[in-house]
Amino acid sequence: MTFGYLLTLLVNGLVIGAFYALLAMGLSLIFGVLEIVNFAHGEFYMLGALAALLAINYLHLGYWTTIVTVTLAGACVGWLFHRALLGGLAGHSFERSLLLTLGLGMVLQNGALYIFTATPQIVRTQFGMSSILLVDVRLTWVRLFALVWAAVGLIGLYLLLYRTRIGQAMRAVAENREAALIVGIRPERVARLAVMAGIALCFMSGAALAPVYVVTPTMGLIFAFKSFAIVVIGGFGSIGGAALAALSLGVIEALVGGTMSLVLADAVAFVAMILVLLFRPLGLFGTGVRI
Amino acid sequence: MRCVLPCLLTMLLAGTAAAEEPIRIGASEPMTGTAAVFGEQAKWGIELALSEINAAGGVLGRKLELVVEDNRCNPAEAAKAVTKLIDENKVVTVIGALCSSATLATMPLIARAQIPLVVTNSTAASIAQLSGIGGNPWVFKTNPADDTMAQALVEHLKKEGVKTLAYMAEDTDYGRGGVQGFAEAAAKAGIKSLPPEVFPQGTPDFSVLLAKIEAQKPDRIVGYFLRGDNDNIMRQVEAMQLKIPFTGRIDLHSAAMAMSPEYLKAGGLDHTTAINPYQPDWDDPKNLAFVEKFKKATGHAPLQMGLYEYEATYVLVEAIKRAGSTDPKALQAALKLTKYPSILGATIEFDDHNCAHNNALIQSIEGGVIKVIELSKT
Repeated sequence: MTFGYLLTLLVNGLVIGAFYALLAMGLSLIFGVLEIVNFAHGEFYMLGALAALLAINYLHLGYWTTIVTVTLAGACVGWLFHRALLGGLAGHSFERSLLLTLGLGMVLQNGALYIFTATPQIVRTQFGMSSILLVDVRLTWVRLFALVWAAVGLIGLYLLLYRTRIGQAMRAVAENREAALIVGIRPERVARLAVMAGIALCFMSGAALAPVYVVTPTMGLIFAFKSFAIVVIGGFGSIGGAALAALSLGVIEALVGGTMSLVLADAVAFVAMILVLLFRPLGLFGTGVRI
Repeated sequence: MRCVLPCLLTMLLAGTAAAEEPIRIGASEPMTGTAAVFGEQAKWGIELALSEINAAGGVLGRKLELVVEDNRCNPAEAAKAVTKLIDENKVVTVIGALCSSATLATMPLIARAQIPLVVTNSTAASIAQLSGIGGNPWVFKTNPADDTMAQALVEHLKKEGVKTLAYMAEDTDYGRGGVQGFAEAAAKAGIKSLPPEVFPQGTPDFSVLLAKIEAQKPDRIVGYFLRGDNDNIMRQVEAMQLKIPFTGRIDLHSAAMAMSPEYLKAGGLDHTTAINPYQPDWDDPKNLAFVEKFKKATGHAPLQMGLYEYEATYVLVEAIKRAGSTDPKALQAALKLTKYPSILGATIEFDDHNCAHNNALIQSIEGGVIKVIELSKT
């Protein structure tokens, strides 16, 4: 294995890991604050990509405008999602939230199939497929920008959680809902913002990756499954844990895929998940589950 | 009293039936479900041939009539469809059943009824093994199987000086089976095969896999994957500027469409080759005339199914003519003597396993343009 090849694997692994992280952190955030596992998470990622497709291919918006617009649209969709569906469920019934989000995922996916068909669609930005050579690794601009967006998302979420009062409130609700209520935090508001942030991250991931891959209604499946595994590995509700688990998984998958086989690489996430459940049921960074 | 007119008509018709009754040809095709596009093409192909033959006066002084039954590309439905065609519709022969699994379910019922079945679009190798000598003598197949097409393509690659092949396949029977067959053909021709790279359908990122293949420096990448993955792979090939041509069962049109026009024009996909039983854009005058005719009759360009079922219908009708009757035994013997010139340039004639070996088209992309470069006997 040459140095250039190893570098290629590492860089590709980091790019994929960064997006696993964006999705997994949103998932973890929503779970932490609402105690709802959002099984429609992958479909929101797909919706983000479809929105980027519409914006770039049909409305002829530029790349930067598109991603900012789609991310904001994601926040609006998140608001609606919370208002219409999740708001009444928070903390009440796990089964109900499970059926609701699973069902919503199916409706979104099959609705997209109905409207856009299963034919893969290609998003062509003004950057096309032009690329630069970094040491030995050829990266297209859109892939490089995707990495930048992932970093923006990660840092943005970190700042929101650890540098703002509302972020502090989110962490407080995630840590202890009752105590948060006692000190006067309104869980409704906090939950709404958590869902908005989580879905906005989904949309941003979808929009940033749409020009890198192809857009299909089923594109969310694999990313969503991996995100679930990552959240379990990182510890449910632990946002930092999810980010770390996601980045490591991206790199490990790339190394396994590059030296062994891609089919095996797909198994890594789930083997790791099973091992974590066996030996550290709370996840690597999980701190405990409230009753 | 309401019955009088229809009854009278029936009696009248019955009197003349012996001379005028049309010869019924059955078709078992997937008319609904995911393969319906192909079933429809098949039906169009047969209808076009029958309308031409009927316009020219039919055969043995009788007109020909088509009865289509929907098999939904499903073995159980296929058994039902063929039973209905034989028992209720009294067809003299059946064309179909398109999907390999449906064809395999149809074959024993055909053997029991003892009428010929002409298979035109099923590729499973077991169909040929089960037909003709030592097997089911009533089954005749006109399309090439996957393994023979792989051999033909490998011969062509050898002429291009290819020494090492890499493989990319989806993790299904189609992908794994296709790659295995291709690697066997390559081994016989003395071409080296790298271990195949198999990936689950719908994999988003191929950068790692492509980097791995690039590092091994093969001459060609043999691809066995469907449309959904094709576009994603081709985009990432362009992103990496991977200068290794593809080959195998690549859909050249989808591959070219997924690339940016500039990259394609600059020769990004040049020397990529593929083998297919038929492509409508082959610029041969006989083919262009057929495409024109097909479009006029149906409003659509023919696919492989359209042409193969069209020619199979002619093969059948010529056999009826040669047999001088619709007696199944005579028809079967007459089919054995078939020599029908296909527009693909070969003669359709059946070997010991009742399989015809028509030409397949090898296409290549040169300067960003898709061309048929060779007709290859399969």
